[in-house]
Amino acid sequence: MSTLLAAALATLVFCAPGYPGGAGDAQPLIDQFASAAVAVSGWPVGSLAAVYDPTEEGGLAKLSGADAALAFVPYPFFVEHAAQLHLTPLVQADVTDIGPKERWTLVAKSGRITGPASMAGYTILSVAGYAPDFVRHSALGSWPLPPDIKIEQTGQILSALRRVAAGEPVAALLDQTQAAALSSLPFAADLKAVVQSPELPVAVIAVVDSRVTASRARTLQAGLLKMGQASGSADSLQPLRLHGFVLPELPSSAVVP
Amino acid sequence: MIVLAAAACAPRPRPAPPVQSAVPASVTAMAAAIELDAKRSDQEPDSKIRDQLAAEAERDAQSCLALEPQAAACLYGSAIAFGLEARAHPTRAGEFLTSMLDALARAESANPIYDEAGPARVRALVLIRAPGWPLGPGDAEAGVAAARRAVALRPLYPPNLLALAEALAKNGDGSGAQENYARARAAALASPAAADRDEWLRQADQGLQRK
Repeated sequence: MSTLLAAALATLVFCAPGYPGGAGDAQPLIDQFASAAVAVSGWPVGSLAAVYDPTEEGGLAKLSGADAALAFVPYPFFVEHAAQLHLTPLVQADVTDIGPKERWTLVAKSGRITGPASMAGYTILSVAGYAPDFVRHSALGSWPLPPDIKIEQTGQILSALRRVAAGEPVAALLDQTQAAALSSLPFAADLKAVVQSPELPVAVIAVVDSRVTASRARTLQAGLLKMGQASGSADSLQPLRLHGFVLPELPSSAVVP
Repeated sequence: MIVLAAAACAPRPRPAPPVQSAVPASVTAMAAAIELDAKRSDQEPDSKIRDQLAAEAERDAQSCLALEPQAAACLYGSAIAFGLEARAHPTRAGEFLTSMLDALARAESANPIYDEAGPARVRALVLIRAPGWPLGPGDAEAGVAAARRAVALRPLYPPNLLALAEALAKNGDGSGAQENYARARAAALASPAAADRDEWLRQADQGLQRK
């Protein structure tokens, strides 16, 4: 009986603050993903539920629920909350058109920033702005920011870049997809990439607070690593813009609970 | 990062627009058929049927445009059909939403007051709800500009005020959003009782509660 209960229902919480997609729109896709993950891992059918929350607060609330056993989160979220939530990385996402790792790029108005000290009084806007530890220590670890700098989250990166180009004391920290598209902007000539992060994981699936037993975590990890190769499971990855998963390769400075 | 259902942002079209006397009956009929497909799609839980409705609307839009390539009714209908395609095929949403915006721009040029300033209003909703650059055509600031155009053309039509309120909220202008939700509510209360009016009131009340 206890074995049955233990295998009963774990919840995988997806949370991607600042990225498009509402909970209702996402639900069928993450349900499909959870079913495929269970099938490829040999977990009992129906033993993994999935929920999505597009906000940091909502994601944190869901992850604090007793049934929240797994988290699928962007790396900035992981850096910011891994210690608090006791997240243990299981796999790293291999994202379509990006791969398992990406570089973040700090963009400022051309000719305005000559070094970290010249950013005094600036605000950094980013989709990852909800994770200031990630911005300061992971993305810009080699670029020691002045203490008075503000870091703010925005989902409106185009508006942020317009402010940068207009000469406001603002810089934008872009993910790899955004940085790659910079040249498509009509005001691209007014912008300059001033520093780039080392390669960092894009997103991870992590066990929350040891709520999955070690043996179940191992079977799930093995299953997730097969996704993208096994027929059927690949179909559940494509709508999420995923190729598959690889073993986690976190930077040595990453927080480990 | 992960994009979850980036597509489901195509706004629900308003009920069929008033018949334009200068528009040929067949064009009007096809525009009405597209509106009907859109309404049915909105209530249809089966994705396969939504797919069929999107294809049907697309065929009607093409036939309409073949008859009257510059008619606002056909261009607007075509935009709605692209919106249905975006919902039905989330992985191709970006291209459909871009085509939708293009058709709306042409509809607005042809007749900006069609469907109570529908081209500018629907354009605003797409711009504020679609994924933003670089993943999609969303542009919250441009959404405000489009919503302001719709309100300037038809200032008492509640959906225009609701669109402006939503656009301002998306841009972080909470007080502007509240002001326009209140104006939308007042305009809805002044409208004849109908199912639409109840829906406008519901949306305005929901917006006013979001302080």
